[in-house]
Amino acid sequence: MIQPQTHLNVADNSGARKLMCIRIIGASNRRYAHIGDVIVAVIKEAIPNTPLERSEVIRAVIVRTCKELKRDNGMIIRYDDNAAVVIDQEGNPKGTRIFGAIARELRQLNFTKIVSLAPEVL
Amino acid sequence: MWAALRSQSCSRFSSSSSLQLLQQWKLGFPSFNHTLSSPPPPSSSSSSAISENLGLLELPEVEKILSDVRADNVKVIPAKKHNDWADFMVIATGRSTWHVKQKQKGAKRLVLPSVEGQEGGKWIVIDSGKVVIHALDEKAREYYNLEDLWTSETSEKEPIQDLEKALVKIRRKNNSKKPAQKRA
Repeated sequence: MIQPQTHLNVADNSGARKLMCIRIIGASNRRYAHIGDVIVAVIKEAIPNTPLERSEVIRAVIVRTCKELKRDNGMIIRYDDNAAVVIDQEGNPKGTRIFGAIARELRQLNFTKIVSLAPEVL
Repeated sequence: MWAALRSQSCSRFSSSSSLQLLQQWKLGFPSFNHTLSSPPPPSSSSSSAISENLGLLELPEVEKILSDVRADNVKVIPAKKHNDWADFMVIATGRSTWHVKQKQKGAKRLVLPSVEGQEGGKWIVIDSGKVVIHALDEKAREYYNLEDLWTSETSEKEPIQDLEKALVKIRRKNNSKKPAQKRA
């Protein structure tokens, strides 16, 4: 359940460290974003000397949420943090590596690039 | 590159059946979750299983097509031990963005199971179930360095095993002193 003003961790090596969601993309009046949704976010904290800087506005895909994700077979996936991966307008990830476990649902949502970079797919 | 792949699978079946097939593939996908790297889910009927095999690209075929369109530096990586959602990763480099994408106008979309990144032409992923094809331009290939990721990393066995244990529900051990067998 990501909404505007939610702070997220960054799960890649793009150089950003903390994001804040400012808009959910997809519908005009949508309240919450879940795993696999694209958000507009502002970088709140960044690693020095990297291409991304603080207060830059970027797009990101949510890859982990504290709110649980239910599957049809009864499996529930819930992470300890909210995390996102920075992407560009075309959907290519900004970073080259992704950290942590990622849900299989991203592949169905056409984020195969992110899934193929991930070290672990749940 | 991807246009050639598409036309190949397009020639094999009519567009109506392919749409249906796409649906099947998308629907059948979640049931792969527990039967990882096993034959198609038992719930699907035999006829649908056959069509599934027809629709998804096979590895030798992919290699042939890529060599036909003169993709540079084709590499096939068996990625089974690295991740469980795909068996083979095929990486290929195009000479330019145009070469990477090579659009065919008028041809129907949605013939292949899933194509991603078609507009940009920097990195196109064709996700055909067990075989995943990555077509990149030279810069992107250098930048993402996918070969390194899938060939060198083998040290991550242990956390995965731990995770498997964590996800499986284990029945608690019976520590009571009472005799276990009631019948005897």
